Amino acid sequence: MNRARLVFLSGVAIFMIGCAVQGPPFERVSPPPAHAVIYVYRPYAYFGSGLRPEVTCGEDTVRIGPGGYHTFIVPADQKVTCTIHSDIAADEVEINTQTRVSYLREEIGWGLTGVAAIQSNGQPHLNPIDNDTAQTEIQSCVQEQPEPQTPQAQ
Amino acid sequence: MFIEPKVVDAPAHALPFKGRLVEGDPQEVPPAVAMSLSTNSQVTFTYREELTHDDYREPKYITAFDPATLIGSPVGEVGVTAFASLSISDGDTILGDYTAKEHVSKSFSIYSQATHKEVDDAARAAVRQKIDQKLFSDEARLAQAVASAGKSPAVSVGQ
Repeated sequence: MNRARLVFLSGVAIFMIGCAVQGPPFERVSPPPAHAVIYVYRPYAYFGSGLRPEVTCGEDTVRIGPGGYHTFIVPADQKVTCTIHSDIAADEVEINTQTRVSYLREEIGWGLTGVAAIQSNGQPHLNPIDNDTAQTEIQSCVQEQPEPQTPQAQ
Repeated sequence: MFIEPKVVDAPAHALPFKGRLVEGDPQEVPPAVAMSLSTNSQVTFTYREELTHDDYREPKYITAFDPATLIGSPVGEVGVTAFASLSISDGDTILGDYTAKEHVSKSFSIYSQATHKEVDDAARAAVRQKIDQKLFSDEARLAQAVASAGKSPAVSVGQ
């Protein structure tokens, strides 16, 4: 392999790693009494990695980067609506929190914003995933850290 | 495009008896059951519903280079299977036991989207309608079983 190709591939690898969320590894949470847990995770994918659509479950809203996950604590025995939306599309899923632990996988698909341009800010999806599959997939994700608060201008 | 099961469309009506819901959400039951609820009936309804998702996405490295993607070919599908079971009992005697399963899917392209909620709602509606149809086809026997329950030992019948 010539040197130029090696440098190029190293650059690509560093760029891709740089897009992933950094944080502590996955840790299971025990919900407080009368509460349930919804884990929303986003396995790393290069496609759409620059996008962080808003995910809302109950009253909590976060943006999850590629390779990250977030734990939503919601009231138990209710129907909780989780939504995700980008500039051009949205998805919505209803979770019955009688099941105390639920998993949703965030994915970004192709979306068309203009007549001729497929943009990577395509269609976000929240897919309900069975516990067995999700528990394996979420192990590769890290906890999404809260965005740093910027002081408000007076 | 929605792919829904074909269910015979008969107008929902109340059952010829009333029942008490012991399991299930009164807002989330088949229409015939919802119309036949009572808080002080000896007859009980037990309703359970479960959804299983089976979504599908075309691999992005295929759709990205497929010209059909640009003209609106589906790039994935949201699919859900709804299972429902309804038990009608009088004390320890099961008067009727009904189960139904329906699969609903909706494909999406880069121009159109399918939300999980709309597909879930369609699957729930379809499975409830199917339970209703089973109830209506067994209505006469059920009415007789409810009327004679308590007078003589009833035979458990299911579908």
